[in-house]
Amino acid sequence: MPTDHLSDTFAALADPTRRAILGRLAEGDATVGELAAPFSVSQPAISRHLKVLERAGLIARTRTAQARPSSLRVEPLREATEWIDTRRATWERRVDRLDQHLQDIQKGTRP
Amino acid sequence: MTEQTSVETGPQDQSVVITRVFDAPRPLVFDAWTSPEHVARWWGPEGFDTPPDTVTIDLRVGGRYQLTMVRKDTGGQFPLRYEIVELVPPELIVLKGERMPEMGVHQPTFTRVELADDGGRTRMTLTDGPYTVSEHAERGWNGAFDKLESVVGSAVE
Repeated sequence: MPTDHLSDTFAALADPTRRAILGRLAEGDATVGELAAPFSVSQPAISRHLKVLERAGLIARTRTAQARPSSLRVEPLREATEWIDTRRATWERRVDRLDQHLQDIQKGTRP
Repeated sequence: MTEQTSVETGPQDQSVVITRVFDAPRPLVFDAWTSPEHVARWWGPEGFDTPPDTVTIDLRVGGRYQLTMVRKDTGGQFPLRYEIVELVPPELIVLKGERMPEMGVHQPTFTRVELADDGGRTRMTLTDGPYTVSEHAERGWNGAFDKLESVVGSAVE
């Protein structure tokens, strides 16, 4: 079953700047300065976004290098997608059973 | 017998949408959704019982719609609690689900069941969601997944 860190993933993805950052990182690792360049926000603001993304496990940041380049991690994205699929599968099976139940009661095999 | 099934993700948010045509008259399908004896028989899911005495349906707007799913192997109990927020017998019932923070669902979700006559059969459109957790719900999911498709490509398939 999905765990609570899904909420971190979803919350992180809800912000357009953070999604744009992920889009940039999909093209390759980048430093805070490189990430901030296309946006009209400060580097500290970008750093705050990176912290949110890091907490959600969506990016990894190098601890050693001075510039601490960020890189994209895809596992939480996959999990977020699977959560919707799980809900869909649950309802599909439930509707299948409702269908069967409706057939049964009309045949008189169920009260 | 199933006439038609389609399953898709809603375009405006991340909701599950299921359309199904049942070979049953609409009042019967509505009963199947709103009487505890019926609900107990089909709610499931697999590997679970939903004991009829755990099903409470107070059929009015503002009324409770709740049940407990019990695991057959361990006896573990999983209560589900909804509130009826819209009700038009025999064509519409909308259930408001509780938030489930432990599941990453921080906003209430809605299960909307619309029933339409279809020549003696009943066409049901079920919408469950939205599955989003932020105050940016209206733009978050759609935008997020548009972006993510290009961001991660095959990784999310």
